[in-house]
Amino acid sequence: MKKLYSMPLAVASLIAFTVPAQAGQEIGALPAVKYDKAKAALGKRLFFDPRLSGDAAISCASCHNPANQFSEGVDLGKAYPGTRHYRNAPTVVNTAAKKKAGVAWFWDGRIGTSLNDVTRNEITETIVMNMDMRMMQERLKQDPVYVKMFKDVGMGEPSNGKVRKLIPEYLKSLQSKNVPFDQGKLTASAKSGMALFKGKAGCVSCHNGSLFTDGKAHILGVAENPKINSDPLRSVTMHAQYIFLGVQNNANLRFDVGHHVVTKKDDGSDYRSFMTPTLRELKYTAPYMHNGMLATLDDVINFYNNGGGIDPNKDSLMKPLGLSKKEKGDLKAFLLALSGDPLTGPEYVLSSSKIKDLSKPYAAIKNWRKTPN
Amino acid sequence: MNRVKITYAFLSALAVAIAMPLVAQAKDLGNGSDPDNDAPLAALEKSAVPNPTDNLITPEKANLGMLLYFDTRMGGDASDSCASCHNPKQGWAFSDPICRGYPGTVHWRNCQTTVNSAYLKKIFWHGSTTSLEAQVFSAALGAVSGNGERDVMESRLQHIPYYVKEFRKVFGSRQPKIQDFARAVAVFERNDLIDTQSPFDKYMRGDKKAMTASAVRGMKVFNGKGNCIECHNGALTTEEKYYNLGVPNPPEWDESGLNQISYRFENYAKGVTEKLYRNTHTDLGLYFQDKEASTKGLFKTPPVRYLSYTAPYMHNGAFFTLEEVVDFYNEGGGTNDPWGTKTKILKPLGLNDKEKADLVAFLEALSGPEVRKDLKKEPKLPEYAPLPNTAYTVLAPNAKYPFYHHPDGSKAAFGPQIMARN
Repeated sequence: MKKLYSMPLAVASLIAFTVPAQAGQEIGALPAVKYDKAKAALGKRLFFDPRLSGDAAISCASCHNPANQFSEGVDLGKAYPGTRHYRNAPTVVNTAAKKKAGVAWFWDGRIGTSLNDVTRNEITETIVMNMDMRMMQERLKQDPVYVKMFKDVGMGEPSNGKVRKLIPEYLKSLQSKNVPFDQGKLTASAKSGMALFKGKAGCVSCHNGSLFTDGKAHILGVAENPKINSDPLRSVTMHAQYIFLGVQNNANLRFDVGHHVVTKKDDGSDYRSFMTPTLRELKYTAPYMHNGMLATLDDVINFYNNGGGIDPNKDSLMKPLGLSKKEKGDLKAFLLALSGDPLTGPEYVLSSSKIKDLSKPYAAIKNWRKTPN
Repeated sequence: MNRVKITYAFLSALAVAIAMPLVAQAKDLGNGSDPDNDAPLAALEKSAVPNPTDNLITPEKANLGMLLYFDTRMGGDASDSCASCHNPKQGWAFSDPICRGYPGTVHWRNCQTTVNSAYLKKIFWHGSTTSLEAQVFSAALGAVSGNGERDVMESRLQHIPYYVKEFRKVFGSRQPKIQDFARAVAVFERNDLIDTQSPFDKYMRGDKKAMTASAVRGMKVFNGKGNCIECHNGALTTEEKYYNLGVPNPPEWDESGLNQISYRFENYAKGVTEKLYRNTHTDLGLYFQDKEASTKGLFKTPPVRYLSYTAPYMHNGAFFTLEEVVDFYNEGGGTNDPWGTKTKILKPLGLNDKEKADLVAFLEALSGPEVRKDLKKEPKLPEYAPLPNTAYTVLAPNAKYPFYHHPDGSKAAFGPQIMARN
């Protein structure tokens, strides 16, 4: 955290009275992440390449779509053909900051903070891209554009290990740009919202640090998305994960267990706990929550104002907030001030002509028998 | 002939010194004489189908296996099934030289028929699995075949009520388990995909009119001058040993980028040395299995039954007709032998046109009527349904957020109560 914002004194004293300030509950600007531009450009091509999935049907960008600031824009994701996802695809903007912030990946927090691990997981995950990375490597070696690009960035020939370094390099380039909050350009309403965020609304208890997340799992009582049970393909996907992750009694569960896949508490008191997401780029990433059940920021604010949803193990931090209409508006203004410009420029998005190249048939290597593999 | 192995060479050399009966085997390493006893050709009987005690054949299990064989959900993107490549319309095999593969890929070898696979002790062209049950997973999970994953396939089964009911009945499990998918398919193959009614089989059972005179003459060539019996022997018409015949490489590897990808993938995935990965452009065959230099380019002798429906032939589909195959052997095999492992058994045969035609007639007499022809019309598959006792959401009047209710509508419930015993 390079810049920390201090609250206006008067408000601060008020907050200090109602919510005792706790260590680690500051918010601040995002530190810039350094990256290699040439490698990021190569990582970008990989990110948009559907040939990185088993049947060459979907790319990373299919669900992390630049049109939605690298989220999907629907409640539940599409997932690999033959399955449908049971969770919302979050934005991958600012994910490079997760490592420093110690924020584990995925709504259930089952992967650590290494982008290399996450890249490997999503490419090979049966319900995401279902790719045998050895096959991916040989596909890349068949494309002269990749062969040249890998060489040009000084990495030799394509390999799966290198892909796991290059996609993260591109992800590092996806950093929020011109965020009013980071620039200290808050409107009066947003400033009041920030005070509420840190004070009366208590958002900062969990949404703190430069990424606005504590990196922990909480139970909020968000309603289940009914599609998960009514659409067998979504239920198939959820239960496939339960089988894979060894969730007890999985065949009889009818809801998303969340972080339980990590903590595995026998009494299920960790059921439906989900990792606190970042609040950055919210402007573009509706619908919200792990299952997209809240369509707008107003819905989200109302949800918290009501003290969250219903759950026997709901986090004790979730209490009705008693926000006035004006206060809700201010809070929303502050939340919107955490979003920057859309990352839709050519440095972030592969051009449509280059995307077309990715669906051309593979050319045969000439004089193959005499050419070393 | 035994596989030529260095260890065998040592043992044989030792044997030469101490025991006369083994001299023949030692000799074979040098000149390809006939060291082993070739079981005579015989009728194939259904009673000889193995019936493993841990996966006994029952009609119910076979019928369940039949449906699973055709179920496209038993693969990665739910677009292809066992039947996509082992296709009842194409002799329960696939009629391209190189098999189609998983979408976005192509396979790298010719697809073998599942008819009479029940009798095999070694499966795949280099014998990489030894049971039908294991074969099912090799095919359903491999990147160029099914590209499925056990967890997703098992979960899919659990969302198909008909399968839940049938698995419970057949295997006694509360929920379908993925290993039972393979067991059911194996039993379908053992029970249904059997051809024991070829003219040859009838002839051997005493119906001397079952084979044409040409085929009967062809059988003599098979057993004698053609020396086919050396490897294609016994009731199954294979001794299931491995040889390099010098079969030419498929032109697809030179012409298609997709085929080149799959070729390299197989070498990389099967863990050859870097030197071999870089420099090899021919199928290493049995070497992938035991990684011994002397087994490069060796392939398992397949049965010559059911050939009428399963063209093209050889491990890479090099030949489209039986005439081409007979010509290939008549010339003493091929010249594609980068490692010097070609079997010494193959020699020019000197067959005349009549003998060749008779031999083809005999080979054709080794195929009976099409097996389970009715299944050319694919069976109707059972459908997905939401899991039983699934709680549903209702938006109560004036409620901001949906709440869960039990299916009987009685009581709002949210939490661990929303479970159902299946």
